[in-house]
Amino acid sequence: MANAFVAAFEILSFGAIIVLIVLGLGIIASMMGIFNFAQGEFVLLGAYITYLAYAKGLPIWAGMVAAPFVVGALGFVLEALIIRRFYAAPIVAMLGTYALGLIIRESVRGLIGGFYLTVPEPIGGSIDIGAMHISAWRFTIIVITALVMGGCYLLLARTSFGLRVRATLENPSLARASGISTPLIYGATFAFGAALAGLAGALIVPVFSLFADLGLRFLIQGFVAVMVGGVGSFIGPVAGAGVIGTLSAALPWVMAPVVADVLVFVLAIVFIKFRPQGLIAGKGV
Amino acid sequence: MPKSMSVVREAIAGDEADDAMAERAVAEQVAAGRKVLPIVEGVVLVAALVAPLVLQDYLTVFATRVIILALFALSFDLVWGYAGIMSFGQALFFGSAGYGVALLARDLDITNIFLVLPAGTLIGLTFALLLGGFLLLGRHPSSVIFVSLGTLTGSYAADRLARGWYYLGGQNGIPSISSMTLGSYEFSEGPPFYYLVLGLLVVVYLLCRFLVRSQFGLALAGLRENEQRIAFFGYKTQHLKAIIFAIGGAVAGLAGSLYAFHEGFVWPNMVGVVVSTQVVLYVLFGGSGTLIGAVIGAVIVEGVSFWLSDNYREVWPIILGVLLLLVILFRPLGLISFVLGERERVGSFGGKSRKTGKEKRDAAP
Repeated sequence: MANAFVAAFEILSFGAIIVLIVLGLGIIASMMGIFNFAQGEFVLLGAYITYLAYAKGLPIWAGMVAAPFVVGALGFVLEALIIRRFYAAPIVAMLGTYALGLIIRESVRGLIGGFYLTVPEPIGGSIDIGAMHISAWRFTIIVITALVMGGCYLLLARTSFGLRVRATLENPSLARASGISTPLIYGATFAFGAALAGLAGALIVPVFSLFADLGLRFLIQGFVAVMVGGVGSFIGPVAGAGVIGTLSAALPWVMAPVVADVLVFVLAIVFIKFRPQGLIAGKGV
Repeated sequence: MPKSMSVVREAIAGDEADDAMAERAVAEQVAAGRKVLPIVEGVVLVAALVAPLVLQDYLTVFATRVIILALFALSFDLVWGYAGIMSFGQALFFGSAGYGVALLARDLDITNIFLVLPAGTLIGLTFALLLGGFLLLGRHPSSVIFVSLGTLTGSYAADRLARGWYYLGGQNGIPSISSMTLGSYEFSEGPPFYYLVLGLLVVVYLLCRFLVRSQFGLALAGLRENEQRIAFFGYKTQHLKAIIFAIGGAVAGLAGSLYAFHEGFVWPNMVGVVVSTQVVLYVLFGGSGTLIGAVIGAVIVEGVSFWLSDNYREVWPIILGVLLLLVILFRPLGLISFVLGERERVGSFGGKSRKTGKEKRDAAP
């Protein structure tokens, strides 16, 4: 019983991490039609900023709060300077964002060297429920993921900003004719997606430690999750992330980790092949 | 905001922008005079032929590696530059062929050049047929994003598998592969290996050149520019794509088996995402859609990184990223487009026609 509970918690916490990472990726892919290959590097930047705050002697949570804002601002600037030129061609956008990601990744590699740097958990220790111990920080991640997910949903579904974003997604010309500044909306959406990645990076760095290829590891998983869930809606990528995250955390309990790792990808690709629209088809929230 | 408005308009009318770009390139081409391509090819070939004579030994070894990578770049250029299939997993075929011949050499002691190179090519072809058949064929045409993610995922999964599989040497790969043999002669690093690889590159290059300048190649170029139009002409676009994908895989397999024997070892990175994206860099840099562009791109990227890696090891990847971004933004056809126009890129078909490439593609079927 206790073992099963610990396993369930592990699976849940990894699923939450994947959801957190995929949120930003999914919003950019769904709302803007761009598969942002630099998303993994935004995660890396968020992690790096947290590490920087820790190394400078600031409290870790300060770095974690700052990370989404800094990465979001960077995303806004990048959108205005570079990403904006790619809307016409999704493949070129993939390559361009890949180049951006390369620049960010190698810059961070130059700054930290080839090391694995650890950042302590701001909330250490464990929560004890009877004989079971679960990591307090992982539990915090689950809670924050749930909050962020709910917040994003409310922002997109219930606010006038969300309405504008969806209008821009649905019909850019009509949105423009209605007085919505679509370039600004695109910029804000991209910045928001980048900020979510920054937050994800800040939160996971105590779990995974900081290294230059941190983002790359999650990028492919994130893309697969977005495709499995279905591009075009908010809830699709989240659902996909839940499925992929749960599978990749659950399968290693029943088979060799290497096989499980590969099997998740194979299953996902086969699934997308036969259901290209994803788990949840349709546009909107 | 007139600027940003125009950007969005481009997003809607992307096709028109492409046309305008093509016209501009044709104008450049006329200004630069005709038939630049054979000159570029000739210069590269002569440079490659004399290279071992002027280079020191250790540089010849490096040059051999570059030529093998150029062959690999050629395979990616075929699928992306000609058919518009974004294969982010080209290393899968490169690396699996490398592993295949390494196993042949290790377990069965087969190192005869006439056995291992065809075997490597066949491995690349088989894997490409399987993956390409799965990703590209089917009732619904696959989206470009799906194909690129599928190939990327395939490469990533192969990397993980190679790392975890003890038989394949795990993290360390397979070290100390014995040399390739021809009778009793052993190909070790140095000028003979260089000329062997160069000869193979020239042969493959000419075959590819023949292929892309055939009607098949023109159909592919049309596919890249406007897939729907080609489908309306009655071509089975999915089959064309699968065929070129398999050919690309075979070329990558040949390159991979040469690479394995040249380096003397294979390791998981060879099938992984890093090498997959490396080859994308070469081709985008040099110029996709021209075979020589891929070769030049590989030579420039590898050459400059070799040259800079002594003093600027940390900064070089960043510079590479910046340059790549600049190329994508301002020179989408790569460095080769400075000297080569759109018209020669597509190639002529039907003798001394004076029509532009685009009209010709329309007239092809």
